[in-house]
Amino acid sequence: ARGGGGFGAKGGQKVIIEPHRHAGVFIARGKEDLLVTKNLTPGEAVYGEKRISVETSAATSGAAALDGNVPAVTKTEYRVWNPFRSKLAAGILGGMEDIYMKPGSKVLYIGAASGTSVSHVADIVGPTGTVFAVEFSHRSGRDLINMATHRTNVIPIIEDARHPLKYRMLVSMVDCIFADVAQPDQARIVGLNAHLFLKTGGGVVISIKASCIDSTAAPEAVFAREVVKLREERIKPKEQLTLEPFERDHAMVAGIYTRSTA
Amino acid sequence: MSVDYLLHESSVGYAVFKVRMQADTVGNRLKEVQEQSQDLAKFGKMVELVSFAPFQGASQALENANEISEGIVSEYLKTVLEANLPKASKKKKTTLGVTDRNLAGSIKAEFPNVDCETGETSEVVADLLRGLRLHAGKLLKGLQDGDVERAQLGLGHAYSRAKVKFSVQKNDNHII
Repeated sequence: ARGGGGFGAKGGQKVIIEPHRHAGVFIARGKEDLLVTKNLTPGEAVYGEKRISVETSAATSGAAALDGNVPAVTKTEYRVWNPFRSKLAAGILGGMEDIYMKPGSKVLYIGAASGTSVSHVADIVGPTGTVFAVEFSHRSGRDLINMATHRTNVIPIIEDARHPLKYRMLVSMVDCIFADVAQPDQARIVGLNAHLFLKTGGGVVISIKASCIDSTAAPEAVFAREVVKLREERIKPKEQLTLEPFERDHAMVAGIYTRSTA
Repeated sequence: MSVDYLLHESSVGYAVFKVRMQADTVGNRLKEVQEQSQDLAKFGKMVELVSFAPFQGASQALENANEISEGIVSEYLKTVLEANLPKASKKKKTTLGVTDRNLAGSIKAEFPNVDCETGETSEVVADLLRGLRLHAGKLLKGLQDGDVERAQLGLGHAYSRAKVKFSVQKNDNHII
């Protein structure tokens, strides 16, 4: 038997995993529905999150039929993604149209913190993708490095995202920039990084905390202003949604980087 | 002003490219011009690899990454540029496109006959450098698939560990 899980998604047998609309994200349907990602390092939790192990018979899952002598039952492990702890998970549950990351994507993750959300992004992009995780704080950067030692598709970068030139040797062109930095000049930071590293037509996903930008104005006014700033950085906004009920006065804004103006 | 050469700094080494074709400043934001640099077949005709100087090992790569991030011309970069840019002549200055303003200043101080354009001063240069970054794995000769990624992973860890000054293995030493 498997250790860990105490309640909710206990057992594993009764849980059915369904793919989410966004490739690389899954939903575990059991007593309650949970957002999960396929664990890149089975048997290991990153921050004490719950894991769900599911048995799939090789006959039903076509991908498992690699060679003739595989056992009839394969185990796949998923990790529960808590929307109260991760803005991206909250955005996905809130119904984001596109998260611009999928298996194989390269993602520049600005504001990686200890790497808890980053580990789920690493699960989404999988072994063929890469996550460039930028974090300025040394304290949480140390946890980030430790997490990255177990996940080789995460490249930890302890540096100030305001100076992307400092880490230009470590980053390739990316398909998506995700930013959760809670800084007043967030739009500028994202713009600087996009001009250097984001492919033309690549996606930008930003979590905006209204009180971090202007604590006196109404949140809606703050979001509107940030969207204007993004436009100035040649990021064409596609959608905006609030992160209620998971976060208060937060918005998720997604857009597309356009370099040509014609 | 037109640019003659480009410097590309990556986790695997330095590369100097010669610019054979470039967009003009006015038309640079046109859709057709932008699409050109995304297509490797077309972009490959715009630039030509002069020399690719790989790092000899992880320690050399880290040393250079640290100097590059501070905008300093390392000894290795100096030899690479000396060997691959045209020799000094009074008639004409060579224009080199680099990403970083600070590095441009350091290069100009080291090489009096070299002028620098950065991504900030010229959008054409910025776009050419973006193209190099996008196609680096294919344009740099002698690289295998995934070499750049592997080097980035190693260098990223080394660079970040050095930034986080105290040991990553140990916990904080709490007072009392």
